[in-house]
Amino acid sequence: MTAAQPTAAMSGRYQRAYTIAVLFLVAGWHLAGAGGQLLHNRPAYSSFAFQCAMWLVMALAIIAGAVLVLRGEPGWLPAWAVAVTALAASTAAAAASPASQMLAVNWAWGSAGWIGVLVLLRRPFAELACFLAAEALATLGVQVWDGLNRADLAGFLAVLAWSTGAQVAIAMGVRALDIAARQADAAMRSEHAARDRAATAEIIRAARHARWLTLQESAVPLIAELAAGTADPGDAQVRIRCAVQAARLRRLLAEGDEVPGSLVHELHASADVAERRGVAVEIETAGVLPQVPGPARRVITDAAIAILTAARSRTRITLAAVTAGIAVSFVADTGASVGLPAAADGVAIEQQQDGRMLWAEARWNSP
Amino acid sequence: MEQPVTVAIIEDHPVVTEGVASWIQSDPAQRVRLVQTARDLTGLRAAPPADVVILDLELSGELVITQIPGLAAAGYRVVAFSGHSDPEIVMETLDNGAYAYVSKEEGRDHLVEAVLAAAADRPYVTRSQARAMLADQRPARPALSEQERQALLLWFQGMSKASVGRRMSISENTVRQYISRARAKYAATGRTAPSKDALLARAIEDGVIRPGDVTPYKSFARAETDHPSLSAPDR
Repeated sequence: MTAAQPTAAMSGRYQRAYTIAVLFLVAGWHLAGAGGQLLHNRPAYSSFAFQCAMWLVMALAIIAGAVLVLRGEPGWLPAWAVAVTALAASTAAAAASPASQMLAVNWAWGSAGWIGVLVLLRRPFAELACFLAAEALATLGVQVWDGLNRADLAGFLAVLAWSTGAQVAIAMGVRALDIAARQADAAMRSEHAARDRAATAEIIRAARHARWLTLQESAVPLIAELAAGTADPGDAQVRIRCAVQAARLRRLLAEGDEVPGSLVHELHASADVAERRGVAVEIETAGVLPQVPGPARRVITDAAIAILTAARSRTRITLAAVTAGIAVSFVADTGASVGLPAAADGVAIEQQQDGRMLWAEARWNSP
Repeated sequence: MEQPVTVAIIEDHPVVTEGVASWIQSDPAQRVRLVQTARDLTGLRAAPPADVVILDLELSGELVITQIPGLAAAGYRVVAFSGHSDPEIVMETLDNGAYAYVSKEEGRDHLVEAVLAAAADRPYVTRSQARAMLADQRPARPALSEQERQALLLWFQGMSKASVGRRMSISENTVRQYISRARAKYAATGRTAPSKDALLARAIEDGVIRPGDVTPYKSFARAETDHPSLSAPDR
């Protein structure tokens, strides 16, 4: 049993078209081919009414099969219910035909086979093969029952060859077209994915370049001074500058990560260096936080880095949704006020020193 | 000296129970006395009587928030103590009639104070509670004044109440008033509980809130039917 596979829109449309083509073929055969034969051989049947009834049963089976296949890929139970109905009707019609002329006046064999093709088209091929074999065996069984002679057997094989052969050919053809449609679809999707990848790569490249520029103006001079020996690692000021640059590097790395709520993520990254220094950092949020644009986020995280670098043992960072924006606050035991970035990019910063504790708040209002 | 407040702890982890007991012990004035510990709600006994129940909200992996109204109806003052700090859980706990919500991180600094406040029917607002109030977007939430919101925000941010006062240019006592008033407004909304009525009545008695300040949100049908005499509790 195959599960219905999710097919993309395009291959789905093609497959539906093939289904409809097969449906027309089956209905056309039953109406013109089988129906015509039935009317033409009218006098030969012992009960014309019974043959007509079987023809109607098979017409109903075609309608049921059409509904099934147009709704999607049918499950094995409804598909086989329709197929077995067709098989039974065709066998009954054959059995009710005059013994000597059975093959000549048999209209039902072809129709039953086509109904099988219709409903089993997109099920494993072995199912269709089984059905067609059962159909052939049933017809042969009727002939054996009637008394088989050599000419009958030759006729049987001829009908089997052309009727079942055509049915198998159509089933295989549709299968091949299905595969082609799926391949076309996959190709189209991979082309889309390639275009998306190229666009993403361009965005990443631009972000990397921006980061490189940022490092040029902050970290690189410090490293140069350290290398040249003009900055002394024993100097507390130099150590603070190093801590700030380390935190900025972490933030730069975090800025590239695609994480929802990126401001919180970047603050965590900024806090990382302070935490390694033994500062306990808690970060809490209140309410549904708005998206803060990149430049404003950088002002806020710069303030965070300055405070975290100055904190002695603990810092509490909170982000709260406020009317039309966000309030990011810091409470830290810095012991003294801290040089914070100037208001920019829609972010206003305030601080208040209270004994050893510093409170600072960066407020961003959406424009 | 006043009689110490008696307290029972319902907590399924013995190590947490011991931690809470040690916080109670380390209170210099010994204002709280632990009289009972139980590992689940069925273990709580009527004697010796406990003024306040410290309830872990998650017992054997199950949230027991819905048991709070039963405890409140039986006359217990419940202080919730929980590892959760999800604002929705905080709000539901308060709505069910808990006096205060203390997250496990806040325990050391706030649990004893929250127990003492609950014993006196007074509000106590932890930072996790302030956070939940600030984040509250339910249509039935009470209307907080700008000053109350600002005091809650600064308190949530981690300032001491004295610092909040300096920041807002008001006295520390006024800061307490604003925060307590916000809490009392919450006691006036949602479902009824004897604990919430007691909290509200005490707030009115203390002058934290005036009866006219607690008109519940009109569109909230349940609040209307639950509080027929909200604006004048006669206790």
